[in-house]
Parts: sequence; structure tokens; C-alpha cells
Amino acid sequence: MISPFQRALIEFALDNLVWFMLVFVLAIFSLTIPNFFQIGIFANIVEQSTFVGVMAIGLAIVIIAGHMDLSVESVAALSAMITGILFCSHGIGQGYTLTPAWLVIPVAALIAIFVGGVIGAMNGWLVVKLQMNAFIVTLASYIWVRGLVVAISGGRSAQDLAPPLRFIGIETMGFIPLIAWIAIICFVVFTFIMGRTPFGRHVTMIGGNAVATFRAGIKVDQLVLLTFVLAGAIAGLAGLLLAIRTSGATANLGTGMLFNAFAAVVIGGVSLKGGVGRLPGVYAGVLLLSSIHTAINLMGLPAHYTQVILGALVLAAVLLDTVKLSIKQMLA
Amino acid sequence: MNRIRRLLISSLALTAIGLASPALAQSKGTIYYMVPTLLDEFQTESVSAIEKFLKDVGYDAITLNADNKTDLQQSQMNDTILLKPAAIVLAAVDFNALQPSIEKARAAGIPVIEFDRQITATPSDFTSVAGTIEIGQVAAGEIQRLLKEKNGEVKGKILQVLGDPADPYSLDIQKGFEDKMKEFAGVTIISLPALQWAPENAGTIVSDQMVANPDIDLIFLHAAHLSVAAVAALEAKGKKPGDVMMISSNGAPVGLDLIRKGWLNVEVEQPLYAQAAAVAMFADKVVNKQEIKAGTYKVLGLDSVVTIEAWGPNIKIPGAAITKDNVDEPRFWGNLKAPADKIVPVE
Repeated sequence: MISPFQRALIEFALDNLVWFMLVFVLAIFSLTIPNFFQIGIFANIVEQSTFVGVMAIGLAIVIIAGHMDLSVESVAALSAMITGILFCSHGIGQGYTLTPAWLVIPVAALIAIFVGGVIGAMNGWLVVKLQMNAFIVTLASYIWVRGLVVAISGGRSAQDLAPPLRFIGIETMGFIPLIAWIAIICFVVFTFIMGRTPFGRHVTMIGGNAVATFRAGIKVDQLVLLTFVLAGAIAGLAGLLLAIRTSGATANLGTGMLFNAFAAVVIGGVSLKGGVGRLPGVYAGVLLLSSIHTAINLMGLPAHYTQVILGALVLAAVLLDTVKLSIKQMLA
Repeated sequence: MNRIRRLLISSLALTAIGLASPALAQSKGTIYYMVPTLLDEFQTESVSAIEKFLKDVGYDAITLNADNKTDLQQSQMNDTILLKPAAIVLAAVDFNALQPSIEKARAAGIPVIEFDRQITATPSDFTSVAGTIEIGQVAAGEIQRLLKEKNGEVKGKILQVLGDPADPYSLDIQKGFEDKMKEFAGVTIISLPALQWAPENAGTIVSDQMVANPDIDLIFLHAAHLSVAAVAALEAKGKKPGDVMMISSNGAPVGLDLIRKGWLNVEVEQPLYAQAAAVAMFADKVVNKQEIKAGTYKVLGLDSVVTIEAWGPNIKIPGAAITKDNVDEPRFWGNLKAPADKIVPVE
């Protein structure tokens, strides 16, 4: 028989398992890999988590709502390319400037979020109104949006983003790059929204049981549509951040990022069946993946190992999730 | 009545001219160009160049994009063979996997021209390449020069950022480069691949390595578009142009811009226009199955050597090292000034 305190302790450990894994992995890497244990490397890990992290927020929300969005990677690429075309001064960039110059930051953000939101709305409309399968709808978007990126860029790239935007990619605050702070703020805001507002609770309820939620008088269709719009808009923001980081956009920008975002979401404890998941866990999942990427970079291992380790980690995360659920059932 | 008759005769005359015109400008046939991807500027510009140059010598050109997928390119080859084109120009996604498709096309009587990516395992009708191994060797020569200028001798630490580890193009450059650098014991090379040629992956590698190995003297990137992200990562680490020497390859417009800004020291060019022009120059000989003789040919002013290899006639066009001194020369495809003069077929 376990005491209430022990039960609370076990539940806390289970709920935050991915954070413990992160700490464990960082400790092992720090002890075994030369040059790993330094502030610059930790800052790099946080910075590199920015794009997949932000993208994973929207993806996690859609998955928690019981659906799927495969288009986020291409949406991010499209936003990045549009930002690049408008505000880069070389390559295919048109080099538009605004007065005062800092206005480019909110304008670029609004455009990127709007572009992503529109594609998200299209996905959501097809899923909700036409009852099409989200997997197929967003797979189609994944393909046609990437095609659009190639079409509007003609396969060419844009470079030299406007200096106020580059400022965000270069400057740091408390050792952490400004760009990474944006991701952290996004996680804080959406953690609050998902955990403390009726919207977040209702989305989680829909993912758990959409029919029961509908019978409880909650507008399921509207909320599901909104989750798709949010996923698209957040992916648009991720695209802007990606363009800022690389000071422009190429037609293959962000390739393969979807799978990292999915891995982070699953490792972070979000159930692909919907109705279960917390965003801090997703952030820990993203940090864990970035740590592994960085460790592989520093060890000089062939990059194939990244994918092998990534696959193994996802599998381990799903296994751990199953074990976690069994333990919770035993405790109940 | 006479007016009507005149109108009728005029109409008939115009129709006859209209019908005759296509016959006058009749195409010599259709040549398919199998481009491996449209996600990088070299390939995008290769489409424009090959289509223009083939038109110059009288062929229609149709391009099929394989999206970097070997199986898709194999299917495209199978479909194209059924259309019986005059020839196929192939820039293979995978050098080995396309071998059966090449053999199938040639068995069906369709000549195959290899463009940019040399396939030696099976014969082709013509091959036009800059030589990926040679690009690595040219880069090695430039890197030796730069290290000597900086350190007094060829020694130092080099970060080599490859492209996708599954792409033989990048592996060939690595081979050419590392073979030439082997003899210098004082040189340390850290080699890491940017998965899927994604620039953000290159940025991450540079970012991590500049923290772990701040004494890196030079960064060698296997494509110019990777160097943009590398520069962004260096900027984020507070570096200025010239603080870390950089070299990249393929000669894309982005690379040339970075030379002008002082970030890149050298860009090793793949002579895209000349490679494409060579395809057009020899197209008639290939299509008509005439003998191609070994020797030196001028291709857009570049002395290019045709040799008869086990895999067929092979033209190798020298890649150039682009520096601040010659960056504005229009012969470099990165300046996107395709030669306006018509290509003339080889007699």
C-alpha cells in the first residue's frame, strides 16, 4: 500500500518523465562528450529547438483535438519564402522597406501568421465542413504548398533579410538568442491557453470524446476548425523564425522538419489518439531531440545515426507512455 | 464578286503559308531532360540553359523533375522510353540505381546523355560533366593556398559541411577534397553532413562547431546555398566577414553575393552553362549515332576535353575558382547571364 505522498510523487515523476530524460541525457553528454558542457552549447540547443518547437505547438494542439496536420512543414516553408521574397534584398528578394524600419517585424509576423492561418483554415474547412479525413487533407496540403514554394520562388533563393529582422536572429538576452525567447514565450502562452482556459479544456475534451463533448453543448466543429487555423498560423510563425535564422529562404528550407515535430510531440507525451498531452512536455521533447542532434554533431558521428536514434527514441517514448498508463491504472 | 474571290484567294494563301511555316521550322525531335530536383538553383538554371541551348540546335526540350526520388526518376525513364524521344538527357538522382534504366533506353534505340552526374558503370552515348571529384580537388587547392597565406604553411582546422549523406554528388566532392588534403598532417578536417541539403541543418552544424571548436580556420561547404545559413550562424556568434575563411562549391548566385560581401573567399564553380552547351553541341551526333572524336573542343570559350572512356564519349569542362577578383565575369552561371549567342552544333 502506498501513501498519498508516494502516489503524488510517482504521478509527478510520470507526468514529467520527458524532463527527467532530458536532464539525464544532458548529464551523460556533458560527462562523455568533449566540449559539450558549456553555456554556448546549451544556448545552441535552445536556439535550435526554436523552429521545430514552435511548429510542434500547433501540431500538438491539433493532435490533442483528435486530428492530424501534416502540412505544417510546407506551411512554414511558404511563410519563410514569402517573407524572404518581400523583405530580402538579394536573390529573388524584392527588398521592401518600411518606415520606421522596425515596422518590418510586426508586418512580417502578421503576413507569415496570416499565410499560415489561411492554409490552416482551408484544411480545417475541408475536415470539418466536408468531413474529409484530416490525414489526407493535410497530406495534400503538405504536397501542394511545397509545390507552391517552388513555383513562387522558381527554385531560387532569397538572401539578406532586412536588418531589423536579422537583429532577432543575432542578438541574445541572458545568453539565450532572442529568437529562442520567442519560442519560449509561445510555449508559455499556449501552455496557459491549453491548461487554463475553456478553449484548451474543450479541445482536450474533443480529442478524448468528440461526441460526448458535442452533447455537452460545446461547438465541436468551430473549435476543431480553430485548431487547424492555429496550427497553420503557428507554422507560419515558425517559418518566419526559420527565415530569420537563415537570413533568407531556399526552396528546400525546413525539409524533414515535420518528422522532427512529430517525434517531439510523441516523445513529449501527446497521445496520437487525442485528448492527452501537455505542451511543456512537447518542449522537453524538442530540447531532447536538439540535444541529441548537437551531441551527434560534436561527436562527429555520421548523420544517419541521428535518424536511427530518433526512431529509437520515438519507439521508446511510445513504450514508456504505455508503461506510464499501466502504472497510472494500477495507482487508480 | 471579284472582291470575294480576292478575299478567298488571300485566305487560301495565308492558310498555305500557315501550314508551311511549321514545316519550315520543323523540330529535329524532342529531347527529355531528367532533372533530379528543382530545389536548388543549379538545377533550376540547368533547366533554362538546357532548354534554350537544345532549342538553338533545333530540338524541343521537355523537362521532368524527379524531386530527388530515385524511384520516381526510374518511372519517368520508363515512361519516356515509351514515347520514343530523340534522346534523353539524364542528371541522375542516384548514379547506380539508374543504370538499368539507361540500359533499357539504349536497348530501345534511344540515346542517353549524362549531364552533370557521371555514370561509369554502364555505357552512355555522351557525358558532359565538370567532375565532382575534381570540384573537391579544386577546392583542396584553394584551401591549401588560403591556409598557407594565413598560417605560413598548410596547417589548421577545417570544418567540412557536406550535403545529404545519401547523395553521391557530395560524397564525390568529399573524396576529391580529402584525397588531396591527406598529405598535410597539420590539417584537421571535421566532416559533418547537412541532412537533405537543408540550409538550417548546415547553420546548426556551424553554430555547434564554432562553440566546440572556436579555432576553426576555414569552413568548406558543398553547396553555396548552405553557406548562406552558415554565414547567418557566424553572424549570430558575433563574427564578421573574414574572421573565418569560407569556401563553397557549385557557383550559385548566393555564393557570388557572399564573395562580394567578403564572407566567402572562394566559390568553386560548376560550369553549368558550358556543361549544358556541350550537350547541345553534340546533340546531333548523339541523336544520329555519329562518331564523337576525342580531342579538345571550345565550349563557350572554355577548353574542354573529350575522351573516349569505357562508358562512352566524355567531355570534361574545367571548373573555375571564383574569387573577389573575377566574381563579376558573365561566364559564371551564378551571374545568371546565359550566353545570348546561338549554340552551333559540332561538325
